Amino acid sequence: MSSAEIALAPEPTARRYRPRGRGLLVFATVVVVAILVLAVVGPSISPFDPTLADAEPFLPPPDLAAWPHLLWSGLTGKGEPVHWFGTDASGLDVFSRVISAPRTDLTIAVFANGLALLIGVPAGLLAGYFRNWGTETLMRVSDVLQSFPVFISAMILVALAGQATINIVVALAVLYSPIYVRLMRAEVMTQGERGMVEASRALGVSELAIALKHVLPNSLGPTLVQSSVTIGFAILLTAGLSFVGAGVRPPTPEWGLMISNGASGIMLGQWWPSVFPGIAISLTVFAFAALGDALERAYRS
Amino acid sequence: MLLRYITRRIAVSVVQLLGLVVAVFFLIRLMPADPVARLVGLNASKDAYAQAAHSLGLDQPLLTQFLRYFGLDGHGNGLLEGNLGVSWVTSASVLSEIGQTLPVTIQLLTLGFLVTLLIAVPIGIAAARRPGGALDRAVFIYGLFGGSQPEFWWGLMFIFVFFFQLAIAPSPLGLIDPMSTAPDPITGFILVDSLLRGQFDIFGDVLWHLALPVLTLVFILSGPIIKMVRQNMLRALESDFILYARAAGLREATVTGYAFRVALAPALTLVGILYGVMLGGAVLIETVFSLGGIGQYAVRAVLAFDYPAIQGVVLVITSISLGIYLLLDLVYAAIDPRVTRQ
Repeated sequence: MSSAEIALAPEPTARRYRPRGRGLLVFATVVVVAILVLAVVGPSISPFDPTLADAEPFLPPPDLAAWPHLLWSGLTGKGEPVHWFGTDASGLDVFSRVISAPRTDLTIAVFANGLALLIGVPAGLLAGYFRNWGTETLMRVSDVLQSFPVFISAMILVALAGQATINIVVALAVLYSPIYVRLMRAEVMTQGERGMVEASRALGVSELAIALKHVLPNSLGPTLVQSSVTIGFAILLTAGLSFVGAGVRPPTPEWGLMISNGASGIMLGQWWPSVFPGIAISLTVFAFAALGDALERAYRS
Repeated sequence: MLLRYITRRIAVSVVQLLGLVVAVFFLIRLMPADPVARLVGLNASKDAYAQAAHSLGLDQPLLTQFLRYFGLDGHGNGLLEGNLGVSWVTSASVLSEIGQTLPVTIQLLTLGFLVTLLIAVPIGIAAARRPGGALDRAVFIYGLFGGSQPEFWWGLMFIFVFFFQLAIAPSPLGLIDPMSTAPDPITGFILVDSLLRGQFDIFGDVLWHLALPVLTLVFILSGPIIKMVRQNMLRALESDFILYARAAGLREATVTGYAFRVALAPALTLVGILYGVMLGGAVLIETVFSLGGIGQYAVRAVLAFDYPAIQGVVLVITSISLGIYLLLDLVYAAIDPRVTRQ
């Protein structure tokens, strides 16, 4: 046992604070559903092309007082389309880019998490069920992977593989898979001691069949709960990579890239190109974290 | 028992580190990147390309490159002698470049963690004394929120408010005023050097420039650390020895003090782990405030395909993290018998 394992041992359920109201869970669900919907329809409902610069740069958003009037004329079909969130340094519409970005960010995060599950779950099942030198080696490899500095490793993998979406997905999946190996292995080890495994063995069911039919379905819970948290962090990492120039390439609508483009304007008071995508990331990642926490609590009780 | 544990832990760390260096060395060379083209440009002639490849040693087989990097090819002067090689971009020694950037990050992190602890420990203790109370609920929400935020964006927001609107913070362009010069290095840590040289105005200036980066760091770190202090404090307060202390009629403040001593050790472990994580993770804050730390050095190295610099950064950051873990485990082994039992 290392000091880290003692320090990070889970808290006994009874002592955890349980939020009484459902407010946080409702909020998280609403945000996550909204982001999922935007990932599907975002680019098609954008008032402007999110990658076409045809307006003046640095147009500020309209005054809040003018919003009701503008909304009304927009709904009744009169008047020009409005740059609700202003335009950025190249004249791209900030609002269209903010609502188109979930397709980039969420796709990367969801696929990276899915791939990490595809690597981590079978590996963890093997390592927890069959304990021999082969699976020991697997765990040591996973240890080494886990001791890489995450952000810098992600940067190295993405930059050297070429800054394409698929490479970001693979890089994040490789870096996040050890979490699933570990979670799955721990859960499988507790499941392996349960009566049904003994019973199946006594009935002469093959080890592989026991592992797949009984242990696997019963051990998936914690990894699925962790998925919500991982997707949130993957969005954060994707945005961070673009922020330093090692992620998706411009002019892809992506929140981190938008913040990076708006960063130089902030010192001159041009807040809108970076404030709106930042609020979007902040809410999204918080919602995924809150959802993960609620799922974990529901799973444990 | 303890001695055997220590030797084993050190041996494991060294093996882990070696595994990591080997993995990084081969990993970056197996990637489909072309550092030579990045260096000489895509329009360079075949001769220029071949010459550059030769001078970087990239025309050699992988194994030869590997032996040379470690200093095992008979010429020595490799990693085993502490030489991290020469940057392909600047031709300066990687070790000296890291020696200039690492102190910046360490100063930022150390100040950030100190301030975080000063805030987080009292709040965490107060929250644990009344579980479910108003403060505890606020801490729960903040723990979830602060731990999952884009720190680079918050840094920009702080710049907007404190530099642009209120004009009370300096411009986010480095550690000192562009008009003044840094003190001659003694330790490499500008805060320490300015004190040693008696240049208190520079010391103050650097602290002033570090205010917003530290604020950003505290904003994202305090969530998980408050949560951790609270959890450990709760666990300690519910243990039998506290029950006994209460039964014996000790004052509440004394009881809290006892519980805090027990709760402190695991909380410090989390701080140590987070410190290691932030060595590479502070890169976004460094970028926002143009501090020139090791994270920004890593970005530069990665984007330029500067392999020796990339290897050096990963090696140094991981060694420090592993060193911190080792130290934590040793401290634990000295005070907690559960650790050495296996």
